[in-house]
Amino acid sequence: MMARTGGSPLLVIEGLSKTFGTLRAVQNLNLSVADGEILGIIGPNGAGKTTTVNLMAGAFKPTSGRVLFDGHDVTGFPPHRLAAQGLVRTFQSTTVYGTQTVRENCRRGAFLHLFPGFFPALVPTARARALRAEVETEIDRLLDWLGLAEFAESEARNLPYGVQKTLGMAIALAARPRLVMLDEPVAGMSAEETDHVRDTIKRIRGAGISAIVIDHNMRFISGLCDRVLVLHHGEELAIGTPGEVMAQPAVIEAYLGKGHAKAGRP
Amino acid sequence: MKPRSPPVLLLAGGLAGVLFLVLWPLAWRSDFILYIATLVLQFSIGACSLQLIIRTGHISLSHAAFAGIGGYASVLLVKSAGWPWHFALIGAILAPAAFAALIGPVLLRLSGKYFVLVTFLFGELMRFVATDWQGLTGGSNGIFEIPKPYPAMRDPLNYYWLSLGFSVVCVGLCVRIMRSEIGRAMDAMRESEKLTECAGVPAFRIKVLIFVIACGLAGVQGSLNAHMNNVITPGNFGPLESLNLVVMNVIGGMTNMGGALLGTVFLVALPELLRGYVEWQRVIYGVILIVVMAFLPGGLVELWGRLRGLVTGEAVRGTAVVTDET
Repeated sequence: MMARTGGSPLLVIEGLSKTFGTLRAVQNLNLSVADGEILGIIGPNGAGKTTTVNLMAGAFKPTSGRVLFDGHDVTGFPPHRLAAQGLVRTFQSTTVYGTQTVRENCRRGAFLHLFPGFFPALVPTARARALRAEVETEIDRLLDWLGLAEFAESEARNLPYGVQKTLGMAIALAARPRLVMLDEPVAGMSAEETDHVRDTIKRIRGAGISAIVIDHNMRFISGLCDRVLVLHHGEELAIGTPGEVMAQPAVIEAYLGKGHAKAGRP
Repeated sequence: MKPRSPPVLLLAGGLAGVLFLVLWPLAWRSDFILYIATLVLQFSIGACSLQLIIRTGHISLSHAAFAGIGGYASVLLVKSAGWPWHFALIGAILAPAAFAALIGPVLLRLSGKYFVLVTFLFGELMRFVATDWQGLTGGSNGIFEIPKPYPAMRDPLNYYWLSLGFSVVCVGLCVRIMRSEIGRAMDAMRESEKLTECAGVPAFRIKVLIFVIACGLAGVQGSLNAHMNNVITPGNFGPLESLNLVVMNVIGGMTNMGGALLGTVFLVALPELLRGYVEWQRVIYGVILIVVMAFLPGGLVELWGRLRGLVTGEAVRGTAVVTDET
């Protein structure tokens, strides 16, 4: 496994904490994701994985701490402003526009690249046409790339679960992010589907997009990520390459002993 | 998703339709039909602008109240301030739009049924204000002897053409918005707001902006209606009228501007045509409504789809309305 630590940090998290009443969901988290890196976040249920993503993705405001993206302070930015900066997420439960075709789903994801501004949008200008043509080409490429081309005109709700999950990723990628956060991209998938998603995420990185992947499937995470952050009770338990992390007694004791045994079963 | 009809076809169809609407009264004139047609044109503005709000995922029960604010603004500016109508009309657009800009950012944070409830209350509140602020609004008797916009408008045919002109502009704007990227974003946020925001759509800002535009357009209906009737009363703009505007959209299928127009024709013309059978009017009206909603959940537009389906042999699924409440 190649560790990509040479790139400049794209996302930096400093002392991030979030409390809900008396519950400390995330405590003093420090983290940096390099340009072109795939970072995994693992931990048992309730470890604070999804809260961490929600803090970074603008769904919650942190109680304290900062989030820096590409050198800019984006702490507490709403999701649409983060997306404009190049930080896009997917959701844990399958989230696609069920009543629409796969292609239209992608168009909705490409809003940032289709929208010429409110009033210009009302006049059918040559520029709007050019934007549209460009986005259609981009969507064709994206669908080919993710193996969704054959479903382009199918309604999303009629697609198999695994394909819907991939479509969720396609919607995020249509926004042309610099960093995607994937919240449990392989939950409920078969082993083959999981391998397919792993290869897809690697190809996403190949296209110059960094990724943060949340999951508790250790086999999936270690086969994919450059570095892994292990969360436990909202705190960093360990961080490093998958090999380093798995070698730490604290990790094995707290989580991986159990998780490892489980990871073999679908 | 239905394939969008190509813009050229839509434009050609629209132009042909408008041309027909301009010319038919010259070939065959009936003042009763002309009156109904004028009403339909005026209400088409309210129904289509309400659909803009509905398509962001909010069902407003105060749309007629905004039309009322526009109506009163227009009438007062003409009668008390002595403005010519075309300037008063600008007031009739700006007044409800300003109100919407004031309360929209608060109301639009509510979702689903809470938004419906609060807009219902706002509609009632506006009706109370119009009834009790006698010095300004003439109380429940309203304001009488409202002059026509221009002397030539005493001819019902001219008033019909005036209403047609404004209907074409306002409905055209609504259609244009829905066919633009803004419309795509609105349809997307109705289905999943969080997913839409992650695509970089400033969902809340769009909702507020659309609410303001739609309420401003409703003011045009209010002004045209008040100056045609020569009188404006609070009863014209209560929650029942707002509900009517919603039902026009329901009958039309909720997410289709053509459907809203069809619903408007249906709901405005039907009670007028059933005037001869006053005792049966509400019964017939109710039965038709129930039949439409029970058998055509996608609205009257679905009828067209089904007929086409019978011809081509393909099944058409009902397009149920999705709001963020479900």
